[in-house]
Amino acid sequence: MFWRSLFLQASWNPRGMQNLGFAYAMGPALDELYPDRAVRAKAAERHLEFFNCQPYMAAAILGGAARVEERVAAGEAEAADVSQFKSTLGPPFAALGDGFFWLALRPAAALVAAETAPYVGLWSVLVFLGLYNVVHVSARVWMFLSGYKRAEGIVESLSHMHYASGTPLLKACGAALAGAMAARAVLSAAFGPHPETAPAFGALIVAAFFFLPKLGVTRSVYIGLLCGLALGARFL
Amino acid sequence: MHALLHTLWLAGIAALTGGVAAVERKGAFQLMLSRPIVLAPVMGLLLGDAQGGLLLGVPLELLFLGGVNLGGNLPDNETLLTAALTAMVIPAGLAAGTGVDGPLAALGLALLFPLALFGRRLERASELRNSQLVEEAMRRVREGDPSATALSLRGLLLPFGATAGICAAAVLIAPLLGWARLQCPAPVVVALGGAWHAVAAVAGACAIRAIRDPRGPLFAGIAVVAMLAFAALTMRSAS
Repeated sequence: MFWRSLFLQASWNPRGMQNLGFAYAMGPALDELYPDRAVRAKAAERHLEFFNCQPYMAAAILGGAARVEERVAAGEAEAADVSQFKSTLGPPFAALGDGFFWLALRPAAALVAAETAPYVGLWSVLVFLGLYNVVHVSARVWMFLSGYKRAEGIVESLSHMHYASGTPLLKACGAALAGAMAARAVLSAAFGPHPETAPAFGALIVAAFFFLPKLGVTRSVYIGLLCGLALGARFL
Repeated sequence: MHALLHTLWLAGIAALTGGVAAVERKGAFQLMLSRPIVLAPVMGLLLGDAQGGLLLGVPLELLFLGGVNLGGNLPDNETLLTAALTAMVIPAGLAAGTGVDGPLAALGLALLFPLALFGRRLERASELRNSQLVEEAMRRVREGDPSATALSLRGLLLPFGATAGICAAAVLIAPLLGWARLQCPAPVVVALGGAWHAVAAVAGACAIRAIRDPRGPLFAGIAVVAMLAFAALTMRSAS
């Protein structure tokens, strides 16, 4: 089941989002719990309902859903309890996971790697993958196992993981590293063959920072390329 | 004949690497192997110039640092751009004998950057195809076939195939980029070097924007001032 959970978003779609991926991941558990094919198909059908969560955090819900399915198969819970479990935990877990993994850990790890690239070369790739995946993979495995062990109790387990408190710290580190990367762009011009262009590159960074939300990345890159061409040709 | 076979071999490698990365980006694993800072050096290594790949990967990573796939929101497809750019620029650098340098990278980026937007359309098309897969899976499950949920994996085919094809095409037209690089007169080469430097500057700004925290610009500003002050002090003590 855990292996299949790694393909949760293989068929992401606008209507059911991760529904088919979730149903596919539940397959091994349903195979074991419902030997009768027709009952198993009925169980698979209830996992084809809408589901969306941050893909790593969904591991906890998958584990928990397998536990609740066990109760349903044993007659200790209703089939509707599985749906309720998924729909209750999906949105808050998504918010927690998006904030921590996508908006804090990934930028911070990438910036550390980018910062170290001139000094360690290709090892920076391993710096990034190591920093990110040590946290990501261990969290994913732990959440899947905890979800299976504790089902609804996973909420309490997650509250001890300090995701919410770690996010601002990682973002602060990421912001400082991003500033250092921007400063490096100016310094490399200052120590390059045309040091007189350094202030212009500094101005470009400031302008790009302020106009990015309006222009978007694509237009900013093309404007940057044109400004750089002009600077490189010393037309300015 | 040997050169043609070698080019086809490189196209195959680029297609496979790009295709796997496209699948890994969203559909499977998400170990961040498809991020520019990983994909470009790895593909560069496979195509013969890992350092060249790293030169491309770092600014691309910073440019797309803020792109996040939240719910139905689709960011620009950094993986398609990185894969195609690396597949084109590395062989072009080797063919031109210059290796991957700023001017060649700037030329390639100016040419291929729209792929980031095209990749978003491709992803939307893939999602619509996935909707059909879900419909089919639902129908079969309702008819009593629980194994129909395995149709989910077919959703990986379109991103794999499309990205693989684009990467193979990028390798095949790489010699043209290498030729264009060699035709550039010296002043143009200098200007293109400036353009690549400007991309690094824009990437720095994008990186600061990517930190979605109200205190982000403050921390970034402190870091900028500290770096510049340190550099100024170092220069003064050296002189």
